[in-house]
Amino acid sequence: MPRFCKAYGLTIESDIALPELLAAAHEGGPADITISRGPVRVPAVGQVKQISPFIWVGEDAFWLHVPGVARFSVVGASKITIDPEPGVDEASIRVFLLGSVLGAVLFQRGFLLLHGNAVEVDGGCVICIGPSGVGKSTLAAGFLQRGYRMLADDVVPIDADCAAVPGFPRLKIWQDAAEKMAINTTAQTRVRPDMNKFNLMTRDNFSDARLPVRWIYILSSENRDGFEVQPIHGMHRFAPLRENTYRRRLMEGMALQPEHLKRCGELASKVRLTRLVRPKTGFDIDGLVDTILADIRTAG
Amino acid sequence: MGGIYWLASYPKSGNTWFRTFLQNLMSVADTPTDINKLNTGSIASSRNWIDDVIGFDTSDLRQDEIESLRPHVYRWMCRGDGVAYHKIHDAYTHTGEGRPLVDDIATLGALYIIRNPLDVAPSYAGHRNCSIDDAIGSMGDPRHALARSQKALPDQLLQFVGTWSQHVISWVDAERLNVKVIRYEDMHATPDRTFGSAADFLGLDTDTERRRRAIDFSSFDIVAGQEARSGFRERPPQAERFFRKGVAGDWRESLTDAQVTRIIADHGIVMSRFGYLDAAMQPV
Repeated sequence: MPRFCKAYGLTIESDIALPELLAAAHEGGPADITISRGPVRVPAVGQVKQISPFIWVGEDAFWLHVPGVARFSVVGASKITIDPEPGVDEASIRVFLLGSVLGAVLFQRGFLLLHGNAVEVDGGCVICIGPSGVGKSTLAAGFLQRGYRMLADDVVPIDADCAAVPGFPRLKIWQDAAEKMAINTTAQTRVRPDMNKFNLMTRDNFSDARLPVRWIYILSSENRDGFEVQPIHGMHRFAPLRENTYRRRLMEGMALQPEHLKRCGELASKVRLTRLVRPKTGFDIDGLVDTILADIRTAG
Repeated sequence: MGGIYWLASYPKSGNTWFRTFLQNLMSVADTPTDINKLNTGSIASSRNWIDDVIGFDTSDLRQDEIESLRPHVYRWMCRGDGVAYHKIHDAYTHTGEGRPLVDDIATLGALYIIRNPLDVAPSYAGHRNCSIDDAIGSMGDPRHALARSQKALPDQLLQFVGTWSQHVISWVDAERLNVKVIRYEDMHATPDRTFGSAADFLGLDTDTERRRRAIDFSSFDIVAGQEARSGFRERPPQAERFFRKGVAGDWRESLTDAQVTRIIADHGIVMSRFGYLDAAMQPV
């Protein structure tokens, strides 16, 4: 039974339930994206290019195999097919569907994708980018606890006007971070069975309009005491955006690099870009949120 | 043909020292390499490296799934002709499918660096900011692993290490693995010969003078001096410093008789095999 929902400003008609997304009314006409179950076979070598042990790309198509979970294909930035492996649960399928697979759709649709989290501040958007494990989701949860609204977790699409596109109201958070922030996880679903990582639903704190990106913080951790805030100027602004592109290898494999570089350059010229270093130990989430807000107030 | 040489060791056995040598050997600069810019290839368990190659997040995968994927990643990385050097602390193990974790097609060989466990113990204790007895306990724990957290996201993947003895045996006796063993103690006592034979093994055809300069540039005084001045990004936050003493035989000052006895009881067989005990099973 198809279900209608939306994410990243796109309507989705899906054969499988997507409880993480916001429901959408069916207004007639085809949805932007259809998701159905069916056989997925990667075409023979020669017709497609393999860009990772588990990813293949064609002219307007993309295939991903997550061993033990499912094979996915995306055709024409609109048609997603899922071929689940025997015995796999739907939550496990959704993790990769809503991550790399939707990411491929967004690349095909021409967005610049940053690996980070987007939060609304003063009618603009602040994005924190950085490698996995540096604390981006924890930081986003910190903003939510202060009453700020989030636009996107993990993947932040940027449109041609350098505005951030809202994703869907879900934040993935590890049990450790939840405990530190006194977030009760018993009411939350696990991202996958047997994993201590939870879906924090953020419907009440979700900003569903595109917002101009005004500040980008590149988060890292070092052996040090206290935070360090370091604005990045001039030509040094370009590389961090490129390095923190979501699934850069995928984007490059899809031959989107020239457009991507251009868009990184445009974004770099329009936002305030700041390096933000936190101590490796004793993650002071409140302190980090305060540091960012203070920097925003000072810089304007 | 391209592929990967693994720089394998139990933690605190001279791996970073060797990587510093390697980086200096490959550098044409006439000053020592900055320890904060060691660029000899990602550690095998780097989450960012693996995530980048597979195209989805290991943080969304179970441990058994990650383990199954890792050989695919290493094989993918050596499609071309390039030779790469990657540090690894995992024991030499096989995945659930029976495939070597360090894929056999990808692997050109492994340089295994071994250090007297009597000296590893106090160094490992400093590294983890735990007591020496706890470090000895970990070194004798068949389930010992690095980055084991299940509730948060370490920047490295879980690395199964096992006991110190298991770790050594897993690598040096691995079937069909091209392996060369060097001893930390020989890196001190006979640096020219030890580093030189390692460079030969790794296919680094460099002249003696260049090798000697690389050895000098990676001396303890230089790397510890760099750490004292500008810190070392690979230092675990809980450790006071990464480069502690850089000597062989320090256990005589730092271990009690009971601790020495316990380590010999746990690892005597392997210690004897690599010349750390005499015929009477006493430390040499």
